[in-house]
Amino acid sequence: MNDNETFERIALPHLDAVYRAAMALCGRSGDADDLAQETFLRAFKRFESFQAGTNCKAWLLQILRNIWIDRLRKKNLTGRPLPLEEAIVAEQTNENDTAWSNSEDLLENFSDEHVINALRELPEDQRLTLFLIDVEQLSQNEVAEIMEVATGTVKSRTSRGRAALKRRLASHAREMGMMRGRTNGTFN
Amino acid sequence: MEHLTEEQFENIMQGESQDVDFPHLNKCRDCRNRLAEKQAIAARLRSAFDSVKAGPALADRIRSRLTATAGPARTSQPIQRKRINHRIRQLWPAFAAAAAVLIVLVPLSLYFGGPSTARAAHAELVRIHNHNLSPDHEFYSEAEPEKLAAYFKDKLGFNPHLPEPGHGMALRGCCVNHFRGQIVGSYVVDTSQGVMSVVVVTDTPESLGISSQFTKGRQTYWKSSFAKCDMVSVRIGDYTYCAVGEISHEYLTELLSRLLPEDQE
Repeated sequence: MNDNETFERIALPHLDAVYRAAMALCGRSGDADDLAQETFLRAFKRFESFQAGTNCKAWLLQILRNIWIDRLRKKNLTGRPLPLEEAIVAEQTNENDTAWSNSEDLLENFSDEHVINALRELPEDQRLTLFLIDVEQLSQNEVAEIMEVATGTVKSRTSRGRAALKRRLASHAREMGMMRGRTNGTFN
Repeated sequence: MEHLTEEQFENIMQGESQDVDFPHLNKCRDCRNRLAEKQAIAARLRSAFDSVKAGPALADRIRSRLTATAGPARTSQPIQRKRINHRIRQLWPAFAAAAAVLIVLVPLSLYFGGPSTARAAHAELVRIHNHNLSPDHEFYSEAEPEKLAAYFKDKLGFNPHLPEPGHGMALRGCCVNHFRGQIVGSYVVDTSQGVMSVVVVTDTPESLGISSQFTKGRQTYWKSSFAKCDMVSVRIGDYTYCAVGEISHEYLTELLSRLLPEDQE
């Protein structure tokens, strides 16, 4: 078996996970295709650095994150404004958010697109962290390695990201007339 | 009564035992509700991505790009070393000398041997392009044309024509390369159709062995293809700008036309 076949056998089964992450970051399928493809090509060039037996999905997602950061930097360098959904916005967390009384029922009223768009409105670091923890179900240690931060940071980003996602969903729900109330998620 | 911290909630979400490690949950309805809500959000987020899958065309495209990148099959099996007997070992200096002669003569014959001249030049341009995309080499990563121009001026002593960013094109950076034994400069442009390198050389398009000419506006271009890459060249002043990439000739020409001074368009 040559290198190409070995790489395809080990890495390509994670294409869906890489593509999902690309969608979470880019939001458009064409851009996600491009990001996923670049991830696999770069991974192939660096395949020698992959240690057999370790988590290939996490390795690929780390490469994807690095490419994404490069692209963001490049966009900033060229002076073109980032699309609104990519802008890094300082998040104010509200530690005193109260729980929804009917969270499961309420969440079922959102379309998949609504939920994904709400995720995409989060700041970059929270968005990818929450995606890796909740969607890809990676461990906090694995995510810490991918994001190159401490495990404690992963915990706080996940927590803040989930709270921010809740606020955005609450805001959408209010716009859709699904719920009444004030901002910051205090709805019933 | 102290409620659970956000960190403790995250630990529970990661699978730590609620009953053993967090008995508070049994007594506190508020914390139970908050945990249930976090779990519901996580589950809904997960289910929202259930239908997000890569299309078969993407998998095919990646496979074909991998095959193109890999080139001839490289084996991952360990290579069996054959034992070399003592007599052959004594002849090694002679083999080495013969190999050295071949190393010198083959490239020379490629340069001065009719159609193979073009192939050699094309191969070098494609090699430079691939080299520019390789992560493991010295590359000046910079997107501002002014800084790239300053880098070229410093390293090569001239300011090449650079495209203005925008219109789907962005500069990635530049590199100093070797072409036909000379030091040349090249820069990389990201486009919506892929990545291209523009190699700036002093050789004329004709001397590169590129025979296929065409005209756009008032400008003459030369086009060719080699190893899945298309190439388009144009002469601006004392330099030839060779755009190389797995991108159509039309798009490469479009980029080069943006480099032209107004009186040359």
